[in-house]
Amino acid sequence: MLGENDGPSMISYATSGATYGLGFFLPFIVVTFAMAAVCQEMAMRVGAVTHRGYGQLVLQRFGRLWGWFNAGDLVFTNLVTLIAEFVAIRVGLAFFHLGAPVAALLGVTLVVFTLSGGRYWRWERLVLGMAIFNALFLVAAILVGPRWGSVGQALVTFSPFPGGSFNTLLLLIASTIGATVTPWMLFFQQSASADKGLTPHDVSHGRWDTIAGAALAMVFGCGALIAGAALFHHGGANIDGLAGAGLPGALSHVAGHLVGVLFALGLVEAGAVAVLTISASTGYAVGECIGAPHSLNNSARGAAVFYGANLAAALIAAGIILIPGVPLLSIALNANVLATVLLPVALVFMIMLANDRELMGRHTNGRAHNWVAIAIAAFISVCGAAYAIDSFLHTLKVV
Amino acid sequence: MLREPTGGAPLTDEEILIDYLESDQLVQHRAKPVNRARLTGATTLGLWALRVFVLVLGVMVIYTFVAQLGS
Repeated sequence: MLGENDGPSMISYATSGATYGLGFFLPFIVVTFAMAAVCQEMAMRVGAVTHRGYGQLVLQRFGRLWGWFNAGDLVFTNLVTLIAEFVAIRVGLAFFHLGAPVAALLGVTLVVFTLSGGRYWRWERLVLGMAIFNALFLVAAILVGPRWGSVGQALVTFSPFPGGSFNTLLLLIASTIGATVTPWMLFFQQSASADKGLTPHDVSHGRWDTIAGAALAMVFGCGALIAGAALFHHGGANIDGLAGAGLPGALSHVAGHLVGVLFALGLVEAGAVAVLTISASTGYAVGECIGAPHSLNNSARGAAVFYGANLAAALIAAGIILIPGVPLLSIALNANVLATVLLPVALVFMIMLANDRELMGRHTNGRAHNWVAIAIAAFISVCGAAYAIDSFLHTLKVV
Repeated sequence: MLREPTGGAPLTDEEILIDYLESDQLVQHRAKPVNRARLTGATTLGLWALRVFVLVLGVMVIYTFVAQLGS
């Protein structure tokens, strides 16, 4: 779940804080993580009970057409999101005067290094070890010295409600949802649960693991927003450098050098962990749909398609950030929006799988669980549609 | 030794069997394809409607992003 706090997510949370301050978006992050926990719990449970990845199950249960549609959505969204992850690493490293080639090399080297072990457990421990540094966002939030009374008030009242441009508000709402509840998360969680060897016996532990991960990720995500909110009274989203995704630099100027350093290192960590999980999710999806071996427990020779797709996704994304003049902040925010827009199909199939009595036996969703899951899918669809339609009409100058 | 269930109803016979499988046996178990689901006409129609909805929105987002880059 900590992989959910990826680079674009943290940029999105901090941008929300810089644009609107403490208010609506702080409790909204809590809500989105509650939604993510519900979705991830379903994915973990289906993976543990069926021992199969999401792509494999959709392909076998609903046919090749739906399987390939889902995998196609995922690979496309993953590529865009991976670019955004490399952007986050690049933004973080830029604070230390290191350029895009270093960011690309670091991300690809990490992918190769973590895949070289040939064991799932080694991969997971390395990723978890790196993910601990997500706590840097919380430390940065504490160091900016927020008024904790205002934080508490925002969490309870969802206020002040953001004003200003309706389209920017919709962008940040869709982006915040897409930062937390993502298609790759569903693929990865289910495939990783199966690859890890979870069984129905482990469902209860897996549930607590998911909830604990969601709680930690939520706290660190709120930390990024609180840190970003330090910019609110200093020009907010219009602050010089922010439009170029210079968040760490802006924070350093406003809240002190240490905050800038922590935020920059946090972005590098968030981007790096997500590069590993998203490229793995791409490998799982391709391997499952083609029917090739797809396990981190296989050797590279034994699962060439899985490892090849994993590495190819990272290499393509790394190559794109080397192109001069790439619009960094826009890519990061739009990657999340695209994830929000494409999520409903993946989520609906997940709900159908979690209710499939033939596959799940007594582990199917309960009635309350179903209502919550359906409400989440509907809410995400409405938010994604609202931003997509409003932006499209604005672009065509119809409104 | 058989592990105790961690909560809820006791494990079924098949779940107990799965619990005893080694990881390579689990991999072999999941290689067997599951049966194809029987979808009603309404469900298939709903899935297609959702697919078209998502594709249209996806095109709108990509068009907007590209147009913003141009401006």
